Amino acid sequence: MLPTEVLERVSIFAGLSQEELQQVAALSRPVQYNRGDVVLREGEASNELYVIGKGMVEIVLGAGDQDARPVLNLGTGQVFGEMALVDRGARSATVRATTDETVLYAIPSDALLRLCEENTHIGFVMMRNLAAELSLKIRLRNIADRMGAG
Amino acid sequence: MIYKVSYLVVEADHPGAVLDQEKAPEVGDRVQLGDRVFEVLEVEELIPPMGEFSFLHVTCRPVEDEQ
Repeated sequence: MLPTEVLERVSIFAGLSQEELQQVAALSRPVQYNRGDVVLREGEASNELYVIGKGMVEIVLGAGDQDARPVLNLGTGQVFGEMALVDRGARSATVRATTDETVLYAIPSDALLRLCEENTHIGFVMMRNLAAELSLKIRLRNIADRMGAG
Repeated sequence: MIYKVSYLVVEADHPGAVLDQEKAPEVGDRVQLGDRVFEVLEVEELIPPMGEFSFLHVTCRPVEDEQ
């Protein structure tokens, strides 16, 4: 189970009480990967979001194609797969571990959404934070485009 | 405060990274992303802080003599 002291440092859960963090943590399961292991693949159905407890992952677009390229690395405390919570679309990228003993905590999207519906404070806080997270990603993409980087 | 820092690398083909830090980066700092070292060129606040989280963007370039 995801330790609440790790969850406290994850921005999409900012503003939840200790009891609420424990409710979220209870939904999670730890999974470990080594360098090069694929966590999820672009185009797959999405049903979990992941919290990085230890280690680092890379986000890859077009994996399996000759044009495949890593577009971002994410470190401890970051979340990926969160788009599944809002649009339930296919995975938008492939994610691979880039360090040995990378520890992730998988949280089923359906269970998390049920919790959000049952506890509307959790629901409001998480969705607000998720909107901020997605807005950040748009701002980052705008900066990268402006600088011609990435 | 937890600084959620997005690192954008210029002058090199590197995807950058998003990392949590205890201390805000400053221009001139050296930072290691994976197995390479980079120099911070610019620090920008992306959005105002939310609770204990501050959201910063850093532009950095590789330090060739410290790979």
